[in-house]
Amino acid sequence: MAEKVEKWYPGEPRGKISYGRMILYSLTTLGILSGLIRLFFGLGSPITNLSDAYPWGLWISFDVLAGVALAGGGFTMAATIYVFNLKKFEPLLRPAKISAFLGYLMFIFGLFFDLGLPWRIWHPLIYWNTHSVLFEVAWCVMLYTTVLGIDVLIMALERFQIEGPVRFLRSIYVIFIVAGIILSTLHQSSLGALYLLLPEKMSELWATNAIGILFFASAVIGGLSVVTIESLVSARVYGRQPEMHILPDLAKGLAVALLVYFAMKVTDLYARRVAFFALDWQHLLFYIEIFGTVALPALLLTFREIRESPMGLLWCAGLAAFGVALNRFNVSLTSYGGYREFSYFPSLIEIFLTVGLVAGGILLFDFLTKNLPVYHEELIGHGEPSS
Amino acid sequence: MSKGMLIDTTRCIGCRACQTACKSWNNLPGVKTTFSDTWSNPRYLSSADFTRIIFREDLHADGTVGWHFIKRQCMHCNDPACVSACPVAALQKLANGPVVYDDSRCIGCRYCMMACPFQIPKFQWDSAVPFIRKCTFCADRQAVGLEPACATTCPTSALLFGDRQELIAAAWRRIHQNPGRYHPEVYGEKIAGGTAKLYLTAQSFEALGLNHQGFRTDLGETPQGVYGREWMGKVPFVALAVGGLTLGLYAINRRRAELAAAEAAAKHEGKEV
Repeated sequence: MAEKVEKWYPGEPRGKISYGRMILYSLTTLGILSGLIRLFFGLGSPITNLSDAYPWGLWISFDVLAGVALAGGGFTMAATIYVFNLKKFEPLLRPAKISAFLGYLMFIFGLFFDLGLPWRIWHPLIYWNTHSVLFEVAWCVMLYTTVLGIDVLIMALERFQIEGPVRFLRSIYVIFIVAGIILSTLHQSSLGALYLLLPEKMSELWATNAIGILFFASAVIGGLSVVTIESLVSARVYGRQPEMHILPDLAKGLAVALLVYFAMKVTDLYARRVAFFALDWQHLLFYIEIFGTVALPALLLTFREIRESPMGLLWCAGLAAFGVALNRFNVSLTSYGGYREFSYFPSLIEIFLTVGLVAGGILLFDFLTKNLPVYHEELIGHGEPSS
Repeated sequence: MSKGMLIDTTRCIGCRACQTACKSWNNLPGVKTTFSDTWSNPRYLSSADFTRIIFREDLHADGTVGWHFIKRQCMHCNDPACVSACPVAALQKLANGPVVYDDSRCIGCRYCMMACPFQIPKFQWDSAVPFIRKCTFCADRQAVGLEPACATTCPTSALLFGDRQELIAAAWRRIHQNPGRYHPEVYGEKIAGGTAKLYLTAQSFEALGLNHQGFRTDLGETPQGVYGREWMGKVPFVALAVGGLTLGLYAINRRRAELAAAEAAAKHEGKEV
């Protein structure tokens, strides 16, 4: 079992709070304050800019839709390693699980503040509507966050060398792998399927019956790119060596995912005979989405020099991840925007809460990676169970 | 037997007694309003206004000005998108017609507002404990054998409450017996799978400019909740397929690793012997 993990990262003075941290702490505090204000004063103007015309805003677009897609790294890496048997990527699994867990926590917190009656967030447990896509999403997210929580729990138990429960959890670990992949497949696609019910309110660029499978495919992109970014950035911040012996190969996978997604998008547009050429801002955002953040990184990643340079990888993965987030905003806001004489732009409280969630997530990530056996060099010999 | 309401907009005189009756029956708060470019008041439906009359001026060919008065409220779909959408089944379609909402279940996710093709459910934005509000088709009055408040109060019988099928027949009779008076369509008979509220208008909703103001004409005859239900129908099979595939490949990988290990061990032993 794992030895007690004592970490010390060069580059970070002990006992002193760096500027980066100070900013993160302030943003998190600002986010918490915004959350409290929203709880006490409700969702109406001027707390948020949501209205009867725009019932869903920034929190749904970013915290929920983009957050979940970008947290797809957990199930993507689990599938890569356990299902497609690419064991060499194992060093990326634990960081991916940590960031996925935090991504889902962010989803849940974001949703908590977005719900009109947040103290009833558990209602889908007892009040069922099996016809509702959102009901399924609620259940999948609850269960999947539990699975990710168990993953983190295993790391914590290892950290404190509590071996009995770890042995038990590992003996049934296959259940968590399979459940995690099933639940992710279902809710990643179902988040897109939410929009199947409102084609008439959306731009035809995004309103498609294929939206479920498109959301799933782009969640794989989101997962792979965030895992890449996470590895490169944490290496820089913690003064570790980035996993450059495997990242270029992961980038090949990312390139394939991007190409497949691009083909799916084009096929979908062609099959629905969508007017593709126009110069309104919806079309411009659409062009940026599929050319700038899908085709471009795919093209760049075909060059070996780019795949093997940390900077090149960071840019490509960054573009791809940005593209996934842009797609979620486009589906939920841009697409919806042309429909009414109203407009929507998030209020300061909405923005602060979202920024605060991200800042808090980064701090928590930092805390967890420093206190748990996450990185490969810390768990040589007692990594994931190979059985 | 499902109830409906025939709204003959050519009979409406724009008195807005229905708005007032609705307010008083449902005990809704007054709202400060402002004069707007039309005579419509209030300007939009809200959690405090379940119904309103849209005023439309219309320049006739002979130069005179005519008026259209279009009542707007929940359509009470036969197969409502909101009922399909709601994750906690707070919205329900009653057998006798009304689509009703249960305060005690709602979590405030507002998916019903997104899903409704007529943009009807409204949210109590100003409350820290907000609920969804919309026309209830006076389900409480219907339960004790009364007509909806708006229909009871309407002085010109523009609002006719009754059996939905009979109202559809009556509507078509009016169209046939009064050539030129009506646009030859009963809005609500088929749109989005049919609604309890049925409209007779002098012109099409496109001509009235209302097809993007709550009276969509491009919805087709398929109720939109069907898309969500079809998706949910596939979920168990997708789960089984993904689960089976995952488990199968995992087992194969594991078996292969075991064999490889055994082989390596055998080789190792062979060398030693």
